[in-house]
Amino acid sequence: MIGILRLALFGFVALTITYVLVSIYSRSVRREKLEKSYDSGEATQDIPDDIKPDRESFVAAGMEAYEKGLKRRLIWLVYVVPTVALAATVYLVNYQ
Amino acid sequence: MWRKIKWGIWIVLAILVASFLHYTLPQHDVVRITNTYNRLTTVGENWMFYASPDTGTAEGTQTRDIRFIEAAFEDDTVIVYRNEDTGWVWPPYFKYDSSNLQAEATNLESTREVPKWVSVTHYGWRFPFLSIYPNAVSVKVVSGPDYSAWNWVSTIILIALAFIIFMVRRMWLQFWERAVDPAIDAVDARADAARDSARGFFGRIGAWMSTWRRKA
Repeated sequence: MIGILRLALFGFVALTITYVLVSIYSRSVRREKLEKSYDSGEATQDIPDDIKPDRESFVAAGMEAYEKGLKRRLIWLVYVVPTVALAATVYLVNYQ
Repeated sequence: MWRKIKWGIWIVLAILVASFLHYTLPQHDVVRITNTYNRLTTVGENWMFYASPDTGTAEGTQTRDIRFIEAAFEDDTVIVYRNEDTGWVWPPYFKYDSSNLQAEATNLESTREVPKWVSVTHYGWRFPFLSIYPNAVSVKVVSGPDYSAWNWVSTIILIALAFIIFMVRRMWLQFWERAVDPAIDAVDARADAARDSARGFFGRIGAWMSTWRRKA
């Protein structure tokens, strides 16, 4: 019985580390994308010059949208997928 | 010389990883079960190829009672499986029904004359000289000795591993591109500035004079 607790504890720690790393990576990729799309001028070409946002506020607004978006929430799959895989393995190995 | 050593190291690493995966991933054998029993087994230097002692099979002893399943292939070569719980430890099969599996295997015993073919899912290797046995994970009745099925579980695990390695590489490259390289550039720029100011007045004049010198 102590084995399952140990697995749960170490699994949770490992998945939390993974979650944090994936979050940092995903945020970094999004920021790079926003910066590049601003620099290429495509993202802001339809906005008249007098209200065009500067680079920093353009990226900040994009990052705010990202934090509320679906892609950000999909990172929770880091916890979900291994847990489901574990449950499926337990079922297939022991109850089939 | 160094190239050869580098290649040698890579080849050894690849063989290690491949054998680790080959040992750990599930495989199927189509066999008929001929006997099931348990026997006291002393686990010594080959402990690595047995269940860890704290999965319930035994506590703190080198000798334990281990269940075995004997089977024969269609061509009469034989194979012996052990039947041990993996519990919640490595490898991650989370198997704790070895008593039930032993009962199922006993129930499916058959003779050479009236064979009952089963597919035994297992991991591990049979090496007589190390006294190690593959661990049976499940048995399933199949149509006949020619039955074969694609190993979906191993396929999915290998794809998942490849995906993880790919993602780790991308994350690493992203980290370098966005965090480490700019930091190095900043350090370089600071170093250049420091060198310029360390040159002092005459140093800078010297540098300016040298721009007038004819290039060789």
